[in-house]
Amino acid sequence: MFKVCIDVGGTFTDCLVLDEAGKFTEFKTPTTPEDASLGVINALAKAARFYGQTLQEFASKVYLLVHGTTLATNALLTGKGARVGMITTKGFRDVMEIRRGFKNIRTSMFNVFIPPYRPLVPRRLRLGVAERTLHTGQVRTALNAAETQAAIKKLKAEGVEAVAVCFLHSYANPENEQKAAQICRDRLNGVYVTASHEVLPAWREHERFSTTVVSAYIGPASSKYLDLLEGRLKAVAFKGSLLIVQSDGLVQSVEQTKKKAVSLIASGPAAAPQAARYCGRVSSYPNLISIDMGGTSLDVSLVCNGEVNHTTESWVGDERVAIKMVDVHSAGAGGGSKAWIDSLGLLRVGPESAGAEPGPACYGKEGKEPTVTDADLILGYIPEDYFLGGEIRLNVERAKKAVKKIGDPLNLDVSEAAQAIFTTVNSLMADQITELSTKRGQDVRDFALVAGGGAGPIHAAQLAELLGIPVVIVPRFASLYSAFGMFAMDIGRDYVRSYITAADTMDIPRVNRLFREMEAQALQDCKAAGMPSQDLALIRSADMRYLGQFHEVEIGGIPVGELTSQDIQALLQSFHERHRELYTFSMPFRGVEFLNFRLKAIAKKMELKLGTVAQGTEDPSSALKRKRHCFFKKSGGYVETPVYEGERLQAGNAIPGPAVIEEKTTTVVIPEAFTCRVDPFRNYLMTSQGNKRSSS
Amino acid sequence: MRHVIDRTSQNFLIAQLHDVSAGIWDARAQTVAIPTGLPVQFIAAKFSIKAILDKFAGRIYPGDVFLTNDPYKGHCCHLPDWGFYRPVFYKDELLFFTLARAHQMDTGGSYPGGYFPNGYDIHAEGICIPPVKVFEKGKERQDIFELIWNNVRWPEGVRVDNYALIAATKICEQRIINLIEKYGRETVLGCVEEMVQRTERAVREEIRKMPDGVYTGESATDDDGSELDVPVWVRCKVTIHGDEITVDFSESDPQRKGFVNSVYASTYSNTLATIFLFLDPALAYFHNEGSMNPIQVVAPEGSVVNPRYPATVGASPVNVGTQVMESLLMAMSEAMPGRAIGAWGRHYSHFIYGFDPRIKQPYVQVLFEPDGGSGAVRGFDGYEGVTMLVTLGEAVKGDVETIEVRFPWRVETYEFETDSCGAGEWRGASGLRWEMVNEGSPAGMSTGNAEGETVHGVGALGGHPAPFNRAYVQRDGKEIPIRAHRIYSLQPEDLLVKVTGGGAGVGNPRQREPVKVREDVLNGFVSIEGARKIYGVVIDPVSSEVDLKATQRLRGNGKRERVKAKGKPRRRPRSK
Repeated sequence: MFKVCIDVGGTFTDCLVLDEAGKFTEFKTPTTPEDASLGVINALAKAARFYGQTLQEFASKVYLLVHGTTLATNALLTGKGARVGMITTKGFRDVMEIRRGFKNIRTSMFNVFIPPYRPLVPRRLRLGVAERTLHTGQVRTALNAAETQAAIKKLKAEGVEAVAVCFLHSYANPENEQKAAQICRDRLNGVYVTASHEVLPAWREHERFSTTVVSAYIGPASSKYLDLLEGRLKAVAFKGSLLIVQSDGLVQSVEQTKKKAVSLIASGPAAAPQAARYCGRVSSYPNLISIDMGGTSLDVSLVCNGEVNHTTESWVGDERVAIKMVDVHSAGAGGGSKAWIDSLGLLRVGPESAGAEPGPACYGKEGKEPTVTDADLILGYIPEDYFLGGEIRLNVERAKKAVKKIGDPLNLDVSEAAQAIFTTVNSLMADQITELSTKRGQDVRDFALVAGGGAGPIHAAQLAELLGIPVVIVPRFASLYSAFGMFAMDIGRDYVRSYITAADTMDIPRVNRLFREMEAQALQDCKAAGMPSQDLALIRSADMRYLGQFHEVEIGGIPVGELTSQDIQALLQSFHERHRELYTFSMPFRGVEFLNFRLKAIAKKMELKLGTVAQGTEDPSSALKRKRHCFFKKSGGYVETPVYEGERLQAGNAIPGPAVIEEKTTTVVIPEAFTCRVDPFRNYLMTSQGNKRSSS
Repeated sequence: MRHVIDRTSQNFLIAQLHDVSAGIWDARAQTVAIPTGLPVQFIAAKFSIKAILDKFAGRIYPGDVFLTNDPYKGHCCHLPDWGFYRPVFYKDELLFFTLARAHQMDTGGSYPGGYFPNGYDIHAEGICIPPVKVFEKGKERQDIFELIWNNVRWPEGVRVDNYALIAATKICEQRIINLIEKYGRETVLGCVEEMVQRTERAVREEIRKMPDGVYTGESATDDDGSELDVPVWVRCKVTIHGDEITVDFSESDPQRKGFVNSVYASTYSNTLATIFLFLDPALAYFHNEGSMNPIQVVAPEGSVVNPRYPATVGASPVNVGTQVMESLLMAMSEAMPGRAIGAWGRHYSHFIYGFDPRIKQPYVQVLFEPDGGSGAVRGFDGYEGVTMLVTLGEAVKGDVETIEVRFPWRVETYEFETDSCGAGEWRGASGLRWEMVNEGSPAGMSTGNAEGETVHGVGALGGHPAPFNRAYVQRDGKEIPIRAHRIYSLQPEDLLVKVTGGGAGVGNPRQREPVKVREDVLNGFVSIEGARKIYGVVIDPVSSEVDLKATQRLRGNGKRERVKAKGKPRRRPRSK
């Protein structure tokens, strides 16, 4: 029997297979953009060949397939979603276009030469109907069925493929919204219908409506893809469970995922921090910064005290997505990011990328602009003859020619210019990490850096030096980072209910009722996904704030069962402490308010165990592959550097910097200040001597 | 810094509407970084820091925090904007200052909110705090704070927000010290100097590309709030010469009795912010002292753009602040037609103060929601939904659900209004219709923070201005008109209606592509009648298709109609 995790990325479909002997094997196949499910099958076929089986034989032995895909994110970012209609409370059809006046989301206030926001639902497809619920949950005006039917008729004539039903205060009472959604489902055959209380039953209409519209926008394509995938898997005799990675870093059945398509946003990247969390656990580092540096982008996320950080404040492209998501911060800094000189005469890297086509200049294709990969090649960090295990032969001369283009205006020779690119992209990454950690009130120096993605392990140690981080971990499957994260993931789901109340006048039985309601729902969903309910762990939390504040803090540690006033007092205490921790002060003199109550239901599962490699001594010399010249600043420039073959390293080997480890899909660069130790699972642990921070 | 303030403050203006700013200055009050915020709150903060340096020479210590809101002694914009300044020391050497400034929910004075017309002088507008120390060597000066908080309404709320702002300056201090520890004092100071010089070179290069010449602009606010219905004019003369720009406001009106006077620091901030819009957008993230050096601002003392103590200034962030920016948009669009920008929808807010029977507490409500969006720019239509020009999109709006939970008002309508955008080849954003019902007790309303009922900002290159703002209260089936800069009492069940104009257009509307006009008609932004009359595009009401022949006839067979390149601010004819 096999467990398989497949991550469909923009360029590659990564497939990681765990066999009965506990051994992992990795497979990479090209992504098939027109129909990504084909690529998934190709990956399975490649695995089947490896095990000497037919595709059917292999697939029938896969008992669990965990799958992440960038499909939904890409559909949203490239504007290739469905034609959506909206039925909303009369008088409020422009909420999603006014969008609270947000303009400067990814631009400075001093840049007014930008196109106006184009809403996913054009105004003529946003139709108001008479109905109104108050914030108390009281229905002031019942749904006008005739107007609803007229709206549906119009949307039908317009040929919409999806409908979002979005009413004011539906989080407090979904009755009107449910009725309208039901009428839509009855009358619109084959149209994807979703309602805001189903997607995000939490207050604040712009955030809720926007999230619901995104869900409707990517709903039809996501459903189609998942149906297609299920069909193809069935055709190759797959009988196991198929679980889909969600934005919150949990997994869900195909049926549930289709209902709430927005939860597919960042499916894939959301799994990456789980890989970091796992590495942290086996090496006893509870606080981690996870970086995934691929060809075009850098994804950063935090793991604090062994828990992956989440947020409800994301913007995806130009859309506000307010569901709880793994807090992944993306920036345009990858191996393919281009170097250029701006109008201040400063060297900049990214966000524009050469991607896989035409690729960096050294690929020898059409690309002529200097990229990070070109700089890495010139500095000797990546081998010209062993990039992707030798699949792509790199051309140093072309890289030099490209880098010279930015070197000349800066009066730098090619090597200096390559160093400048290397340093610039590292600083850019350092800024992104600092921004994320500071916003979350964390000091990066308390963290270990976990580096994944093809380009991550090349830059990680020198990035860590910049940030004053003493420890870098490169996971065994660094270049299949997300797929590996899927093995380490929990299975479950997040639930939320809004009840806005001051702590001192709180109706505790009502809170108990809300938790019971969510727990019943969780048990039901768990049953539907075929999981035994005794394996379910229920984790409660609440969003709280000081009376009058506008933003809340999520407080965990709420006991299960009936809550008493003592439990609430304890919760208030935790809130004051957390507020101080996050923002440097607390205000015990001020009243506290509750907003949302949350439940996370996760299935307890077996601890993931990686296969171990042979135990060796500290001496790594048996894995020495060759020596070549690589650039290390503190050693005075290009020095002869030992290069080790990753696959031949043994547990306990200790490699002092400067050195390089070559693997098929990545290269690990160990600068002077670091020593790299190989752990029994062949994760690499780089530690710097004396935790000295570099100064330039 | 902004994040900490956002997350912890309790005031609707700060946390939801982002009426807040932050930045870093060096020990000589040179501007190092002005990342974000409302121009009047931070671009000229160097003047405030100079005032602190002068006043406290030899008495500035690590752990100090200074507070001022004084427009005259502290170079602040108006009294509700309180700025907390923290000197940043490294090894006992003063190297930087950081500031967090935000609009407080109350600052004392005759009425809540800070935007009430007819104050006798600056002291009637609220407590006027010259630069004072509220923390010395890390210790809170409780007696000073007590004196200050005793002079505001809702002292508990103001206290929370003050702590939020101080916390933000503290985080900034920590980050600066980390930076110096990592890279060393010399490197950090060297980089700051280098950054300022590079920015200055780049900005001068941009100015050199602008055609030398003298360009003029003007704009008026409806009135000064005391002498009603008499517009107040701001006139600018922009001289571009080589790599320098001089902006001269000498032709503007003398200072007024009413509350529209803009102190020099505010005029300076708004002027620079507007000129930055005409520079290469790639520079947008980097502005600092280097961007300011090539630009001189002349405003004669005693004028509405540089008043003498004790003139009232309450409304100046909106009234006269907007006019400074609009007059410059007009002049600079003439100098740089390739980067022409139309005026934005004029601010149309209010302060309602009443009693919330649900929680038995008084409340103050201020809303940005009704503001029409941005003006068009050459190449793009206006940005829908954003709030007034003086915030450049940094201030945002709230959620209706939040408003209904927090205030005893039920919102009935919040939608774009048809034919409310300034027409143009690129049209301005749409104005809005806002309707809400009072479910609370009788309440008072000040409309000081509103304008655009009788004068509006112009478009550029032949673009049209947007319609005027208007408001009324519907009570017992009757419409009672509501005018800007006045005080009203409101009754339970009153329906307050506001209909605003959006942004102004850029370019002749008759050159707007007919397909775009059709889109606007289908989406209800423009009526069929408006399409025909203003854009010269005939849309068939049945098929909704463009009638190309009729359109061509109307537009004169592609013959370009002569348009005046430069609009002139018009006053609404006095009705009735």
